[in-house]
Amino acid sequence: MGEPSTVLLELGGILDITGEVVAMWIILAVITVICLIIRLTLKERPGVFQNIIETGVEALDNFFAGLLGEKSRKYFTFLGSLFIFIIFSNYSGLLPGVGMTDWVKAPTASLSVTAGLGVLTFIFLQGAGLGHGIKHYLKHFISPIFIMLPLLVLDEIIKPASLALRLFGNVFGEEMVTHQLYEIFPIGVPVVMMVLSLLFCALQAMVYTMLVSIYLDEATE
Amino acid sequence: MDSSAMIALAAAIAIAVSTIAPAIAQGLTAKSAMESIARQPDAAKDIRSTLIIALALMEALTIYGLLIAFMLISKI
Repeated sequence: MGEPSTVLLELGGILDITGEVVAMWIILAVITVICLIIRLTLKERPGVFQNIIETGVEALDNFFAGLLGEKSRKYFTFLGSLFIFIIFSNYSGLLPGVGMTDWVKAPTASLSVTAGLGVLTFIFLQGAGLGHGIKHYLKHFISPIFIMLPLLVLDEIIKPASLALRLFGNVFGEEMVTHQLYEIFPIGVPVVMMVLSLLFCALQAMVYTMLVSIYLDEATE
Repeated sequence: MDSSAMIALAAAIAIAVSTIAPAIAQGLTAKSAMESIARQPDAAKDIRSTLIIALALMEALTIYGLLIAFMLISKI
């Protein structure tokens, strides 16, 4: 779905470097640099920058604690990184020039990236369920009755698939709408949609991690 | 009617129908959430997070319709 991305560089015939991959590298570099700066200049009395980051992390922590309760700290690393990565990827589509060339594209507007996130979520959920207790994990496939087994197995696969499709559809749809508005009237009108996108991008990152934590809560009950 | 016109019509119907139903559902959900918040402002925080989850699940239906429409459009 969507147009296939142009391959910029082929690495060994297996790895294709596309615009999305380049954008993800840039995002990872930006996040790493922010983390390094904040880690190296950590102070007892925070400055402005540290205060902003601390408020953000605290808000994330409270968000997951409200959904997961005591378990949230154990899984905070994965859920938090997922949230930060998705919100950076979504917002990267709003930067001028991104998506106009083949070199840099918003990662989450590609089904491959969101499907990758879905696979990651699938592995994480199964791993968390298994880590919580194998007996409990196997039992939830045949509860309340063993006839439900095929449906419950299917459910485990559909959950990440719907997460991936939702994220992709929302971001890709927004980009397409902005693009169509640009074609109709290039000056001023697309800004309306982009302001709306500012809200929706954050909301989609929130919804994705919120649903993952709800599934996680179910898996580790 | 040739096939590309049929595909264009099918894409329009796909997105239109899959917008109408979730729109009604989302309206009803938002209505009852607002009523609950008005009745019990203390519970606003819990209601809001549940509301967002419910809205997101309904939104997904529209998104599926949108994806189908895009798929159809790309076939023209």
